[in-house]
Amino acid sequence: MRRGAHRLEAALLVLAALSSLLVLFLALPIAALYLKVDPHVASRLLGGPLRGEVVSAFKVSLLASAAALSGLLVLGIPLAYTLARLDFPGKRLVEALVDIPLALPHTVAGIMILEAYGSRGLLGGGLSRLGLVLEDHFLGVVAVMAFVSAPLLVDTVKVGFQSIPESLEAVARTLGASRLRAFLDISLPLALRSIAAGSLLAWARGLSEVGALLVVAYYPKTVNILILEYLSIYGLPYAAALAAIYAALALGVFTALRVLVS
Amino acid sequence: MIVVEDLLVEAGDFRLEVERLEVGEGEYLVVLGPSGVGKTLLLHAIAGLVMPRRGRILIGGRDATYLPPEARGVALVPQDYALFPHMTVAENIAYGLRLRGIPRGEALERARAIAERLGIAHLLGRKPGTLSGGERQRVALARALVVEPRVLLLDEPLSSLDPRARIEGRRLLAQLHERLRFTAVHVTHSLPEALALADRVAYLESGRLACTCSPRGFLESPYAEPYLEELSLLRGGSMER
Repeated sequence: MRRGAHRLEAALLVLAALSSLLVLFLALPIAALYLKVDPHVASRLLGGPLRGEVVSAFKVSLLASAAALSGLLVLGIPLAYTLARLDFPGKRLVEALVDIPLALPHTVAGIMILEAYGSRGLLGGGLSRLGLVLEDHFLGVVAVMAFVSAPLLVDTVKVGFQSIPESLEAVARTLGASRLRAFLDISLPLALRSIAAGSLLAWARGLSEVGALLVVAYYPKTVNILILEYLSIYGLPYAAALAAIYAALALGVFTALRVLVS
Repeated sequence: MIVVEDLLVEAGDFRLEVERLEVGEGEYLVVLGPSGVGKTLLLHAIAGLVMPRRGRILIGGRDATYLPPEARGVALVPQDYALFPHMTVAENIAYGLRLRGIPRGEALERARAIAERLGIAHLLGRKPGTLSGGERQRVALARALVVEPRVLLLDEPLSSLDPRARIEGRRLLAQLHERLRFTAVHVTHSLPEALALADRVAYLESGRLACTCSPRGFLESPYAEPYLEELSLLRGGSMER
């Protein structure tokens, strides 16, 4: 009995040691960023001549990621529900299509978006006539962020809907609810937590995108693009300072949302 | 009240075929049979939750074969009771009334009235996650009965209860049926449950209706043998101990 208890404690110690290693591995770069950042450079970014473009880049990043997420919520929740609840021919293909952006190198995703929706792409002519141009436009930033983050929202919400017993909706239907009403009254409120979790992941993924943006919409500059630009023009101290400001904001929002979700 | 004619329902590779099944007004039909023979599928077909490949389902003289569940006038009590976890007991019971456009206050009043009849008025403010199996069963019944359905569909409503609660549940169902005279189709694999509640027993075997008879008739049929054998084995075992 005692030997068993000791063995259990030893196992817990091993678990704790391995977990701590990973936590340290993840935390150290964040700590390094703030330990190494030059406060003088950071204050120049926030108060000096570069302040204008820094603030503008933050605005673009936040607004575009919010717009991408909004669009994804409107289209992604119905898709997630359909995939969770219905069987139809080609369902596996649709599921694979949804997950494709996860497997693509980011620049490839950018090229694909450009070839499909760019002004010389498959739908480009029609979209241009409607005034919807992606190249170096805010809309391009939104499209890129939505494309790369869609799988995270759809997959997370789909799993959320799958975890809700179908019998709940079945009972609601027999009590007099239409399919839509049963969805709105029963499944949607019960999936809110997974919708929030999926939104958080999708938003973070969109916000962090850079490779596809380099291909589709370098302008208006997002923070990520600006960090790359500072790295090549002013060197690491400026890039690191901007990255530290960005990481503080992203981590703050991410943590706040996580607390809300839990 | 319910007529099922030449029904074929498919679920994956499984086929449920029912040539003819009738349930009279106010009758309590128990559908008996081992697991996996299509009992729940039959219930779902009557409820409109699965579409038949062939055949007709009439409810109250009306062809309901292709009607959506909400237009059939049936209420379902599934095996897991399916209480809405984000609503209180009162809101669960009132849900069907609210769907009928009854104002919230009146719906909650009626929910209270039926909860009192079922002895669960003290639970009205609680969430389903805090209830015992027997309490959940009563709430599910109250929610189904408050809308005064033409047909009550019960899918193994007692199977998840402990023996004492199961006996109480049987008694409650019998009392409610006696008082309200609703038409019921009750699916189970328990012979004692069938004998305690059924006006008639329908026995399903391998996706087909093997017999429809009185409880006594069923006991005398060859289909009752495995059940009786199990009962006698149990009795023998307990005597040996």
